[in-house]
Amino acid sequence: MNNIYLPHLMTIEDIYEEAPDVRTFSLAFKDRALADSFAFKTGQFGLYSAFGLGESTFCIASPPTRKHGIQCTFRKSGRVTGGLAGLSIGDTMGFRGPYGNWFPLDEWKGKDIVFIAGGIGLPPVRSVIWNVLDRRDEFGKITIVYGAKTVADLVYKSELALWDERGDVTLVQTVDPGGESPDWKGKIGFVPTVLEEAAPSPVNAVAVTCGPPIMIKFVIKALGKLGFADEAIYTTLENKMKCGVGKCGRCNVGDVYICKEGPVYTAAEIKKMYDDF
Amino acid sequence: MENALRKKARELLQNGEVKVVIGYGFNRRGTHVTPVFITKPEDVDRLVFNPRCVNNLSVYLTRKFKDIRAIGRPAIVAKGCDIKNIVVLIAEAQLKREDVYIIGMACNGMVYRQELWKGELKPEIMPTKCHNCDVRYPHLYDCVIGDKPAFVPPDKPVGMVFDKIKALDKMDSSGRWAFWVEEFSRCIKCYACRQVCSLCYCERCITEKNMPQWIETSAHPKGNLSWNLTRAMHLAGRCTFCGECERSCPVNIPLNLVNKKLIQVTEEAFDFRSGYDEKAHPPMIVFSPDDKENFIK
Amino acid sequence: MTDLFLKTEDLGRLIASVRDGGARFIAPSTDARQTAFKEVSGADEVVSDYILATNSYKEFLFPQTEVISTHKVMKDSVELKGVELEAQGTVIFGARPCEAASLAALGAVFTWDFVDEFYTKREADTVVIAVACTRGDDACFCTTVGLSPDATAGVDVMFKEADGGWAVARLTDKGSTFVEKHKDVFEKTACAPKPLFYPEKIKGVDVEKIKERLSNKGHYEDPVWPELARKCIGCGACTFTCPTCHCFDIIDEGTAYEGERRKNWDACQFDHFTLHASGHNPRDTQYKRWRNRFMCKFKFYPDKFSSKGCVGCGRCIRVCPVRLDITEVMEEMSKLP
Repeated sequence: MNNIYLPHLMTIEDIYEEAPDVRTFSLAFKDRALADSFAFKTGQFGLYSAFGLGESTFCIASPPTRKHGIQCTFRKSGRVTGGLAGLSIGDTMGFRGPYGNWFPLDEWKGKDIVFIAGGIGLPPVRSVIWNVLDRRDEFGKITIVYGAKTVADLVYKSELALWDERGDVTLVQTVDPGGESPDWKGKIGFVPTVLEEAAPSPVNAVAVTCGPPIMIKFVIKALGKLGFADEAIYTTLENKMKCGVGKCGRCNVGDVYICKEGPVYTAAEIKKMYDDF
Repeated sequence: MENALRKKARELLQNGEVKVVIGYGFNRRGTHVTPVFITKPEDVDRLVFNPRCVNNLSVYLTRKFKDIRAIGRPAIVAKGCDIKNIVVLIAEAQLKREDVYIIGMACNGMVYRQELWKGELKPEIMPTKCHNCDVRYPHLYDCVIGDKPAFVPPDKPVGMVFDKIKALDKMDSSGRWAFWVEEFSRCIKCYACRQVCSLCYCERCITEKNMPQWIETSAHPKGNLSWNLTRAMHLAGRCTFCGECERSCPVNIPLNLVNKKLIQVTEEAFDFRSGYDEKAHPPMIVFSPDDKENFIK
Repeated sequence: MTDLFLKTEDLGRLIASVRDGGARFIAPSTDARQTAFKEVSGADEVVSDYILATNSYKEFLFPQTEVISTHKVMKDSVELKGVELEAQGTVIFGARPCEAASLAALGAVFTWDFVDEFYTKREADTVVIAVACTRGDDACFCTTVGLSPDATAGVDVMFKEADGGWAVARLTDKGSTFVEKHKDVFEKTACAPKPLFYPEKIKGVDVEKIKERLSNKGHYEDPVWPELARKCIGCGACTFTCPTCHCFDIIDEGTAYEGERRKNWDACQFDHFTLHASGHNPRDTQYKRWRNRFMCKFKFYPDKFSSKGCVGCGRCIRVCPVRLDITEVMEEMSKLP
């Protein structure tokens, strides 16, 4: 019997502490054949199991261009994520996916790309960033605007450093006022404001954003001011999910099922949805 | 009586004393009585009062109903039994007395369920609470509509619930256990009992707390038993026997039985009856050196 | 073909014949002061003077709680086993034609791209015998949503009450196979069925128009929604008795070392249904939850699955502790410009 709710077993190969209560797991499929055949596209998500506690939904935070297993990044905030946070390297957890749609990278060939992320919204964007950087020649200018509440809350700190060092990426980092440390060299201010100051050109460009709902709302406004068309602004939505496959009935925003028709949407598509966020 | 009620409601809305009157009205097809929220003086004629006004509207005074609270100060059409719940809400600091205008309704009894109504209120279609009611003339109010009913409750309570409790008390514990496991096995975890109860006002119910998972949410015998027993315990010494949970249960679980039994137990142990004194705290939230310890075995 | 007849006294033979074949026979039966679908072993348990069973028979295809996998957490590994469902043949007797129409909606959602075999395996092994309605009440509104007391959607075999028994019509291949298998209990005589009960079509309500109105996003924030839903107490009685509601939860139960994963009915009316771990809740007030349920029935389902989201059985009206009547909302929605 094909049980669509049955997860694959994964081994936790590595754990990175990203920020307070935020962790990244590197996961490898226990099933060798599956490890070879597994494929996904950037932007897709999965359901991750802490056995005995349940399942939680996060994006696949690693890019499909890195072929060794997958990574996920999550904040410890509830029963399942609390359980996952209690696991160690070598432990077993569950994964089912990949589910949902993806960022249309092939349509972006030759274009500039602006990434805007806030806090724990960076993981899905990070998958796109590495995917794009691994295919660097195919795209134009790359700008990354990333902010968090405080310096401590910035995730992927070592990768931020890598992007900062690269000559072919413009990285703007910011923290909310009051969140800076004495040695902070980045900007101080909210992401939408910092984005407007950075003023990336909208000509032949797309923008990819993810973060708290309120940030996304203002980022879309800021991008509009900068001249980005709604069709050129991409984001990934999240909602509470249980099945991930269009059955359990809770992730819908009006008539749109985030798990099946999303999670990746353009701002133009979002504006057509019922106001059910 | 309805005229006096409408007049009062109109007056309260007109002079701005209240912003909404929570009362009873007919549904559109005129087949059933349903809660109505009157915010305009010209709509007061929708208000009715008759033996089918079974709902305990005090649930709409709780913080579960933020939209209703947002309208402004309410007046509530309340029978004596409903007022008991308002008393508990005040005693438990969910409501200040001045936050609500109580339109007390003198009452001659209600039907157990609206579907039983065939045009006449006969004793056999009335719930046990009505047969023993000592608040047919309200005990806490801002005004009362109607005359004092002549009814005097019997010295010894009567009714099906008491008969059944006696029968259950005569059984041994395994018999009682089997009875309740069977009754609760039908539970579908729709939580109508909780949602309709004005004393179940927690914003996050224990069954929704999952760190740890106190109650298994599955509707299997174990989960059903732990849900129903936990809810009963949370109502011990607080429940006023309004009967809304049993009335609302889509699978006919006799919740009145378990609630009445706990009312009897708390009354015996603490000499406390819930719903009469808004200044008295329920026994389960106060400690007294005189509390009995005979339950420690 | 309506040339068969089942005598009232032969229902017991039919039940025995079905059960001898290893299938369960589900029928309306009165227990605990109400008539509900349950498995019966003889005709004496089956009642006929009911309007509609209080539960919908969906629970025999989509149980309220079911184990989907089991797990054992060991020191170095996890033993995970998916449940291999052995669907038991099921005969649903005494379904009403309204609720039978709900199978199209359930089937659509459970097979939409990903196939939930827990549902499809059971459904494939289920025969629905509907008994056309000769009685109803003021909550019935099948005619308003385009159905009727002898509507055939989702029905394999239609029974119509007649003097001394039922006129039997085979409507699907599954139904024909069923009748063929138990042919000994049926008689080959035609008969005149009793008149049916047609609920009055509610004036001014047009489901097609409602769908159109709901497509206008301007109506999404119409003040009529909070007004209509104000009395809703947020329980799940309507969704759990509804034959088309399908929402569920997935939870783990057991100890830290051993347990099972279950698929449990859930209700969009519960406030934590859509609550994010962050505390954000897209449907944070009751009217938004109620609006979602209504739109799901009259807009999202018809659009997405080309199926009826509401079959007019009226269970949600009968069971509602505050008598929130969905037909009143339909009337209001029909009035929107």
